[in-house]
Amino acid sequence: MLNNSIQYTIPAGEKRELLLINEPSINYHIVQEEGSSLLVHVIALPNPKEQDYAQHTTITVEHNAANCRTEIYGLALLHGNQQHHLTTSVLHNVGEGYSSQLIKFVLDDASKASFKGELKILPDAQHVEAYQTNRNILLSRQADMVTEPQLEIYADDVKASHGATTGQLDESALFYMQQRCIGRESARKLLLCAFFDDVMRTLPDEQMQENLLDKINEYIG
Amino acid sequence: MLEIKNLHATIAGKEILKGLNLTINEGEVHAIMGPNGAGKSTLSNVLTGHPAYTVTAGEVIFRGKNLLEMSPEERAREGVFLSFQYPVEIPGVSMVNFMRTAVNEKRQHEGKPALSATEFLKLMREKKSLVGMDNKLTKRSVNEGFSGGEKKRNEIFQMAMLEPCLSILDETDSGLDIDALRIVAEGVNALKTPHTASIVITHYQRLLDYIVPDFVHVLADGKIVRTGGKELALELEEKGYAFLNE
Repeated sequence: MLNNSIQYTIPAGEKRELLLINEPSINYHIVQEEGSSLLVHVIALPNPKEQDYAQHTTITVEHNAANCRTEIYGLALLHGNQQHHLTTSVLHNVGEGYSSQLIKFVLDDASKASFKGELKILPDAQHVEAYQTNRNILLSRQADMVTEPQLEIYADDVKASHGATTGQLDESALFYMQQRCIGRESARKLLLCAFFDDVMRTLPDEQMQENLLDKINEYIG
Repeated sequence: MLEIKNLHATIAGKEILKGLNLTINEGEVHAIMGPNGAGKSTLSNVLTGHPAYTVTAGEVIFRGKNLLEMSPEERAREGVFLSFQYPVEIPGVSMVNFMRTAVNEKRQHEGKPALSATEFLKLMREKKSLVGMDNKLTKRSVNEGFSGGEKKRNEIFQMAMLEPCLSILDETDSGLDIDALRIVAEGVNALKTPHTASIVITHYQRLLDYIVPDFVHVLADGKIVRTGGKELALELEEKGYAFLNE
């Protein structure tokens, strides 16, 4: 596959935001210099009618100096035969850095998605904090999610964790809401918006949060 | 209001209710007591339409309508309320959003317009003070991180918001200390009208000191085996369920 590739370096002390919404397949390679920070959102919220939606996004981030900070958030809501594949690679080459990743996908119908998350802390990269979480909800038996966390930690004085779960909507919560007069459809919407809530809150622009929430509500329908 | 005739129900193929009969009229409070595994919680789950249970025989008529044909949300909108033994935590769904959706879906069912934001908040304030619900709790996600007592009080708060005709309190006393129990009971009593009715499911007589029943039923092995007045609860407290084996 021929993907677009983009490379850049964030100069020392500077901040960058990268916001990808329904972006065509693309590779990013970002190098961070001392004290820089990076906030990434990869959002796949295609119209359910767009049957041939299939995107591959790769984000590679390297900490080449101390005190860098990276946050990566992923969100996807897919229908029909749509596909979204996210690969992240966070390389702590130098110590005293921070990275966190929170990836949440909801798959309906026969949609497919994957999250491959590489997290590497090199031997000299002491005092790094690095977290990776991937949570997915499958709304249909035909939906297919592949999660491959890959942690390689060679430094001994670090804080690192990862977790991945794939499940269904909480039936006991659905019943509880139905018992409170809330129709099953509205209950599903409330639960799925709640599921995405912690990712949505990290978007710096409130207007954008609202627009995306409207789309989520429309597409869950 | 509610007529249960020869109700049989199973879960995972096992028969739990085995021919239960019960009639409840407006204004009445019925206590259902009985040993563990008798089918008390099954009864509340079947009446509210929990999908894990299957009704294999019998009928339930609620205000002239066949309750068993309705979806869980339709039953709730028609006025059946269950105070859960274990209220569910729903992280990320705010109490305000949850309650507004609940109240407005019920109003829609009744052919009433949705409440405006101002009207809704006013209603919340009224009902909070009625049941002594802490402001902090309604600012959080539904039941998330609530203590046992706070969850039960939240159930009564939701009951106050939805104004059901029939309230089923499933072991509302479990896990409550005596003060919390009293506050919850006061809330239930404050909501009582000549046109509402309650089913109080409990293991212990002490809740019935605060919510005084008109009838006490003993449920054993899927059937009501004995019915009496409020003094029956005292007798059960004293003598236990040994008579069941006689």
